[in-house]
Parts: sequence; structure tokens; C-alpha cells
Amino acid sequence: MRSTRNVVEDEKQYSDPPLLVLASLANGPKHGHAMIEDIVGLCGTRLGPGTLYGAIARLEKQGWIAPMAPEERRRPYRITAEGTRVLRARLMTLRQFAKAGLGRLEAL
Amino acid sequence: MTPQAARWLTRLYPWAWRERYGEEFEELLETGPGGLRTVVNSIWSALVERIFPTVGGNMNPSLNSFGRMIQRPSAFIPLTMSSIALVTVLIAVAWGFHQTGHVDRDSDEGSIAHIFQLLMSLQVPIVLFFAIKWLRRAPRQTLGVLALQAGAWLAACAPVFYFNL
Repeated sequence: MRSTRNVVEDEKQYSDPPLLVLASLANGPKHGHAMIEDIVGLCGTRLGPGTLYGAIARLEKQGWIAPMAPEERRRPYRITAEGTRVLRARLMTLRQFAKAGLGRLEAL
Repeated sequence: MTPQAARWLTRLYPWAWRERYGEEFEELLETGPGGLRTVVNSIWSALVERIFPTVGGNMNPSLNSFGRMIQRPSAFIPLTMSSIALVTVLIAVAWGFHQTGHVDRDSDEGSIAHIFQLLMSLQVPIVLFFAIKWLRRAPRQTLGVLALQAGAWLAACAPVFYFNL
């Protein structure tokens, strides 16, 4: 079960559903099913439908993503300007963290 | 996943959430792979949504809000104990009335009286613990919970005094 907290579930899968959803929407609007498949391609993590919509609901309430006009029963979402800013800040932090961590490992 | 199963899982979510996301969520379940993992994931997420609602509720309630305060064991356990004590006394009174046709006031203290006394006395240290721990941190909410606990305690005692048991 994936929570919405930052969790590294195993050695290869990174799981932070809101961040994954933001990253998935960074290259264009997507509906739920497309987001799940895109996130699998992005980092190997397959979000469950409940986890995905938990993240979508929270991101929408925070104004970081916005719903678009429905396509039959599916509804695409797009990232907002504020969401883009948040995603960039989070990824920059992760990059600094990864750089520092890998630097320490190289020293071993 | 079958449409029936998808509909059943969607119905586990609160009404306000279903109004907003129900249709697209149901469609996602129907077109997805299904399986036990999906079912467990959906049930768990619906439970989380009911406890911490994103739609029609406060997404990030204050840690010291009344709602959060009442969820603390030292807040709800005394309330539960008073409720059990009240129900126990009422059942005992009703049972005595059913058996004898009147409220029995003269009988010796039995196990029900002892259970009542234990429930009413053991909650006092819990209430004291709650008050000491939270009164300074969140006085208004703590006083609200204490008032509720006092009300429940008095409500549990009321039949004892009313029937002079």
C-alpha cells in the first residue's frame, strides 16, 4: 500500500504520489489511466487507483493541478503555474539531496 | 474489473467525494486490471478519505482542533466508559423492573454495581492525565472535551440518583 508520504518502497521504486502526479502532468494533460502508465514509465511505480485519486484530490484542492473538460467518463488534468513552481522546487531539492548523497557514497 | 465491483468500491467513498470524482474513478476501475491489490488499495483509500476528507472537509485540520482532540485515547476512553456505565445501569434497571415490576433499591451491591463503580472511578485518572497534558497546549478545545466528559459522567450517574439505587 502506498501512502502519500515520501517513501522509497524498494531499491528501484520511488513513491511520493503527489510528486509523481505533478511530474507526470509536467509534459501535458493526462487522465487517470494515462497518468498511471506514464508514472510506470517514469520510475517503475504503479500507483493504485485509490492512491492516485487521493493524490489528485489533494493536489486539486491545493491548486497545483486543475481539471479540464471531461472526455466521456474520463477527465484529464493539467498542472497549474503554482504546481509547476512547486514541482521545480521539489525536484531541485531532490537533485541537491541526490548529489550530496552520491558524493558521500563515492567517498566510501 | 466488472462494473458492479467498480460501483461497489466507489460507493465506499463519502458522498461529496463521489459527486466530484465518482464517475471518473469508476471508469478507471472498470478499465484497470482489477485484482486483490486494486480492491485493497481502493478500500484503504476510501477509509482514509472518510477520516481525512479532501472534498467537503478540512484537508489539513489543526492538530489541536476539537475533532482531533476528541480522537485522542485519553479523551474518548472516559466518554466510552461513561457510556458503558450508563447503558449498564439502564439495562439493570430495566431488567429489575421486568422481573419484579418495580425498581429494586434495597438489594445488596452486585457485580453490576461494582462494574459501574469501576467504570466511573477508573476514568478519573485518565481525565486528569488528559487535562494536565492538553490544558496548557490547547485550553479552549481541552475545556470543550472536559465539559463533554463531565456531561457524560453526570449522565451516567443520573439514573443512580434518580432511582435512588
